[in-house]
Amino acid sequence: MRNLGAKAFAIGAGGIVPIGLLLCLEVAARSKLVDPTFLPPPSAILATVWGIIVSGKFAAPLAQTILFLFTGYGIGCAAAIALGILMGYSRVIYNLFEPLTELLRPLPKAALLPVLILFLGLGAKMEITIVALGCFFPVLINTLQGVRAVEPTMINTARTFGHGTFAIWRRILVPASAPYILAGMRISLGLGLILVVTAEMIAGTGGLGDAILSAQRTFLVKESYAWLVVLAVLGLLLTALFSWLERKIAFWNAPSVG
Amino acid sequence: MTQLTVEAAARTFPRAHAYRLRNSRASGVALVVLLLGLWEASARLGIVQSTNWPPFSAVMVALYSSIVDGELLPIIVSTLWRLARGYVLGSACGVVLGFAIALNRPARLMLLPTIELLRPIPIPAIIPPLIFLMGLDDKLRLFAIAFATFFPVVLNTLAGVRAVEPVYRQVAQTFGVPRWKTLGCVVFPASLPFILAGLRTSLGLAFVVTVIAEMIVGEQGIGYYLVTMEFAMRTAEMYAGIILVTCIAYLLNCAFVAWEAHAIRWARLIEEMRGES
Amino acid sequence: MTLAAARSTKAGAAPPAAGGRLRVEGIAKSFLGPTGGAIAAIDAVSLDVAPGEFLAIVGPSGCGKSTLLQVIAGLMPPSGGTVRLGDRDVTGEPAHMVYLFQQYSRSLLPWMTVADNVMFAFRHRIKLRRAAAVARCRDYLAMVGLADVADHYPWQLSGGMQQRVAIARALAAEPQVLLMDEPFSSVDALTRLDLHSLILELWTQKRFTAVLVTHDVDEAIFLADRVAVLTQRPATVTEVIETRLPRPRQSIETRESAAFLALRHRLLSYLLSRGGDTPHA
Repeated sequence: MRNLGAKAFAIGAGGIVPIGLLLCLEVAARSKLVDPTFLPPPSAILATVWGIIVSGKFAAPLAQTILFLFTGYGIGCAAAIALGILMGYSRVIYNLFEPLTELLRPLPKAALLPVLILFLGLGAKMEITIVALGCFFPVLINTLQGVRAVEPTMINTARTFGHGTFAIWRRILVPASAPYILAGMRISLGLGLILVVTAEMIAGTGGLGDAILSAQRTFLVKESYAWLVVLAVLGLLLTALFSWLERKIAFWNAPSVG
Repeated sequence: MTQLTVEAAARTFPRAHAYRLRNSRASGVALVVLLLGLWEASARLGIVQSTNWPPFSAVMVALYSSIVDGELLPIIVSTLWRLARGYVLGSACGVVLGFAIALNRPARLMLLPTIELLRPIPIPAIIPPLIFLMGLDDKLRLFAIAFATFFPVVLNTLAGVRAVEPVYRQVAQTFGVPRWKTLGCVVFPASLPFILAGLRTSLGLAFVVTVIAEMIVGEQGIGYYLVTMEFAMRTAEMYAGIILVTCIAYLLNCAFVAWEAHAIRWARLIEEMRGES
Repeated sequence: MTLAAARSTKAGAAPPAAGGRLRVEGIAKSFLGPTGGAIAAIDAVSLDVAPGEFLAIVGPSGCGKSTLLQVIAGLMPPSGGTVRLGDRDVTGEPAHMVYLFQQYSRSLLPWMTVADNVMFAFRHRIKLRRAAAVARCRDYLAMVGLADVADHYPWQLSGGMQQRVAIARALAAEPQVLLMDEPFSSVDALTRLDLHSLILELWTQKRFTAVLVTHDVDEAIFLADRVAVLTQRPATVTEVIETRLPRPRQSIETRESAAFLALRHRLLSYLLSRGGDTPHA
């Protein structure tokens, strides 16, 4: 009983600030303290959000953003995990690729948008590519770190028992480095979302980022904020989903910071 | 995490194989040189469509002339100045709030959920709506940069303060050191490793957001330059700009890491010694 | 400066007047166990320590000795009972009592030099200009033979040296009572003998009340006037033995004396025999 009370209190305390803020904004906008054309009252924004949902308008941009994000994310993570395991396991491969990856790592991948637009145009290919490129490096670094953290004696013991390379990968390397890989994938998820939204804004060919920017350009203030809310909710859901998955897969690893 | 070099990630655990990194990198360097050579050759021989694919040498020339002739220099300064202001603003808020939340339970209960709620919002998305509020000038970009900087810093500061060895606080307690002095002379230095790690992560993120903000609502800075060059099909300048951005990001990180290593050398050494004992 | 040379230095002013009587009455301390019930670590411990006395508390590992000492030091509130120094209760931040940590390497603040660490102990209480404070620092470091490492960092020193710095720091606060939590258990045997002599020197000079917690019976008998025996959890004091060995104590000769060996025999038999029956909470 005591625990329940404490939890309720925590939720209540946590809600004070956002609810308080929203109330202040509501009052400020309605009483014309802040020009409501520039900052509509939260109730109006929420009404617009509701309108977007009910009319089904949210479906196409949301679906496009999610599709491009996940495609790029999947490709980037898969490639990074594969290369990371290879580099962590084999000194030859590591030496071959380390200078190249080290050169490309500091590049803020968003800066590649203009290049990709020139080569791939303004559509799906460009957006998926930028997300894949951006998601690649954090996962690569973390996979590498995770593989290196595996005790060499574990691997050698498995070898003496006659396990082949593939089996070692499957049974030892991947599970042991899973927490690190997941930490990298978490970072990449946030980064991927930033990149897909940026790409959509610059390309202007659909997706939530485009929706936000278009609304702003045509002075549909409430819609602009409303699409932002939709995107924020998407971000929240993705984060929560990832935490849940992380707990399922690597339950000994607490969600990482930052 | 993203700012760890590949090499550092490989060397994280002392029990891993000792790598002779210096003399074995030859194959990798050769690969890079080979790729650059392919780039140059394919461009000069017209194998790839020419306008989007200038030779690497042309890019280098463009890079040199843009900097020397002064076109890029004020742009870089503009970007860095923007970065600096946004970064300092966001970091200061992050550290102060991090301390406040760590030391004060009611503050933590009230503020932490809001922070966790706001964190997943992708930064570029807040820019267009805020145009209405802040107009198209620097205030908007600074807010975006500060917003991005804030979250890793506040969370790392929070973690750092809570991770301070209880013994340190007990030492202050047994000598009867007053609370404010304990905060400044014990808690703050002890949590610096975490705080600096957060600041380091934030720096990289802040720079990315600076470039992005300049690309989306630009009229100044290197992000805007990149987009402009792309529109104008001045591809050599565009590639030069990208290389420049990479160099700046790399140098910023290097400088920070060097300063960090000096500022908390005691933490590194303790970890090493504790690892050995 | 070697330890031997330091011993021949009469550092510091005249020893401060010994403080009040340390009275521990009926101290009990329990913690929340993993299943939520209370686990009694200490149960009704009472001690009476005269000013300037050297008391040792022995007991097997995990019997709650450190907890007891931390409660006496005021670092932890007791679940029951009181601690009085002189005519005042000890609550919260103790004045005049300094606790010497077992993990000395972790108790020295690593971002400060040795000198800064020592100054940390008294700078906020004793107002001195920086030069005077530094000089006072060096005096105390000289007492433990470490005046020349004042500008080093703690992590640059060996374990024994770190412990000596911790001792210097503790003394720099001029405590009435020095509470030592197994301070010599992590140094090697020879360094330990050296540190024993050092502690006795300083105690003789400064005349503070010393309470030492240890699992080492030899150490307890060698250093103390009286030895209290603590049982297993829930810990209580079951015996208090007076050592009555002549002072100053000699590293080798005292340890070979018949009186010492007799005490040792008596204490060890007592502890080992009681080790058989471990009362469960």
